[in-house]
Amino acid sequence: MRGGSRRLTPKVSMLARADAGRSIALSAALIVAFILITSLSVPTSADRAVGWQSVAQAMAQTLEDSDVNADAKADEIITAPHPQRGDYPDIGISSRSIVWVIAQLHLNFAAFVLAVPIFVVLIEWLGLKTGNVRYDHMAREFMKISMSAYSITALFGGLLTLALFMLYPDLMRYMMHVFGAQMLVYAFLFIAESLFLYVYYYSWDALGEGNRKWLHLTLGLMLNTAGTTLLVLANSWATFMMAPSGVNEVGEVIGSIWEIMRGPLWNPLNLHRFLANIAFGGAVVGAYAAYRFLSAKTAEEKAAYDWMGYTSNFIAILSFLPLPFAGYWLMAEVYAYSQSMGITAMGGILSWLFIVQAVLIGAILLAGNYYLWSGMTRCEGAVRYQGFIKYIAFVLVLSFLVWVTPHTLILTPAEMKALGGSHHQFLGALGVMPAKNIAVNLMLIFTFLSFQLYRRSDKVAQVSWETAGNAFMVTIYAVAMLNVVFAGVYYGYFTSTVYNVGSSVIQVFSTLAVIVAGITIDGFMYKGAKTLPSQWGRVSNRSQYALFALPITFTWLMALMGYLRSSIRTDWHISDIMRDNSPDNFIPTIGYAGNMITMVTVLFVLLVLFVFWIATRADGGRQKANIEAEAGKL
Amino acid sequence: MRSGSSVLVWLAAVVTVAAFFYGMDHLIMSLQGLPLNLDLSPAQ
Repeated sequence: MRGGSRRLTPKVSMLARADAGRSIALSAALIVAFILITSLSVPTSADRAVGWQSVAQAMAQTLEDSDVNADAKADEIITAPHPQRGDYPDIGISSRSIVWVIAQLHLNFAAFVLAVPIFVVLIEWLGLKTGNVRYDHMAREFMKISMSAYSITALFGGLLTLALFMLYPDLMRYMMHVFGAQMLVYAFLFIAESLFLYVYYYSWDALGEGNRKWLHLTLGLMLNTAGTTLLVLANSWATFMMAPSGVNEVGEVIGSIWEIMRGPLWNPLNLHRFLANIAFGGAVVGAYAAYRFLSAKTAEEKAAYDWMGYTSNFIAILSFLPLPFAGYWLMAEVYAYSQSMGITAMGGILSWLFIVQAVLIGAILLAGNYYLWSGMTRCEGAVRYQGFIKYIAFVLVLSFLVWVTPHTLILTPAEMKALGGSHHQFLGALGVMPAKNIAVNLMLIFTFLSFQLYRRSDKVAQVSWETAGNAFMVTIYAVAMLNVVFAGVYYGYFTSTVYNVGSSVIQVFSTLAVIVAGITIDGFMYKGAKTLPSQWGRVSNRSQYALFALPITFTWLMALMGYLRSSIRTDWHISDIMRDNSPDNFIPTIGYAGNMITMVTVLFVLLVLFVFWIATRADGGRQKANIEAEAGKL
Repeated sequence: MRSGSSVLVWLAAVVTVAAFFYGMDHLIMSLQGLPLNLDLSPAQ
């Protein structure tokens, strides 16, 4: 296998490595250089002219500021700057739009490359534990895709740094002042992550056997430690801009770096992004598996990529299930921090985004479920459960319709007259949060049911307590659903708001109870179970399109909610501390945002296809050898 | 499994699971400083 990887396409492989290395080195140099240059600088009120010339002047000013008066400034009280319209470089195109596109593309790729090593290490460990080499091969192929994407991530990161310092110099200088050495830590962690990534990937063969495999896994763990720390550090910048802490009302730093980072939104965002990244990473590699499945020429290849697609979908959906709860926590903290910010998000014009979000999440859940149902054709034992599919589909579609029902409609006077008011007599009740909460939780419970039935389809339990186990599982589903509906209807419609919000936690824990109980009971019940024959690769091509739908919908969803998260600061760079006086200091219209989001999604998909193509060309020979070696094991 | 013992298993499952969820609801609401108001009268 090792020889195969060296024999085949060595030029492409070497070029890809060299290009990736150069890109990362360039980006790292850019980021480190900017951080070093500006970490000593302070806000200035220098007047800058407009045009490209002003950008150069702003850069020069930044350099100059870093050198002069460093000692004198040490005793100076530094507050948040108040740039005027003329202080923002004008390059003829909306600065916000430029930063928007670059930041979103960087974030998409960063989410992918940070997430993949997390589940790769788990899969590699599973391979070591079970002694099944196909886990190891799959983990390596996942990493191969991630490697191709890493250089693009770094390039967009460098580009974003450049764009931010050029287009928002005052803001960036202030952020550098507030976060100071923490940004240096970020830069060094980025270098550490790159080193771990390269050593981890390229030592796969050298550290492949015996105790050396544990060393390899340790490298993977360190790679993930660096990556996840990078994530939470970067999150603190975003949450500081939304809900600043560790500074007073004029922006003077009064707390430690820990107090600055640990704002009220930091941990909710950390959890939300961590889970979302894994779901997103799983979805993207799932699309890769579908791409390879559809272009496979042999039954062995189809079988291998079918299994890869299934594993990817498993990762994506399982990480996605708790995600709405993390999102709920984040929004609850946004409300707790600033009620007006919460109302801007969920009560004003932006509230329509949550309806669009419902459509997208509905599409994700329907695609994920459809893939699972299609996958039941792989095993004859699935016949036992296929009768449930229509009921699951009914509940999913009904809940989806409830979720997308808007509360306030945009109506003409004639329509309002025909309707008898601004809200529909019956459907109006479905537009409020209690109905949405019921719908979301039921969709998640039924998605888990699909998942559980799929997992059971090729097994027959051998334990004596199977009936008791099933009785408990069925009862847990029934009581949890009753709990969700009762808490939503009674506390949501017949009590005060405080009960309404409090009871939503009951709903969340009811759903989580089903998931935890399902995994635990099945884990024990199917230990040593009889396995029924199933045939990987025996799945329709249609099911693979569901795997393509997932990452595209995820990408659109991430961009949409990123627009919302950023927009709720309205005309502030940093809420209540530093006002945005740039020409873009308004919430963009939904139509404009929709175009931007779609453009970013299309660009991302095109770049991902390029990454897939590179990954396919890089060392397909080894993968082919692996597939042939595994053929009898699937 | 005989039908009698099967009924007992289901009964035990319903009672145990209902008690668990009731306890969980009670705990969650009390942690938020709210009583578990199940008397169906408007709660304030």
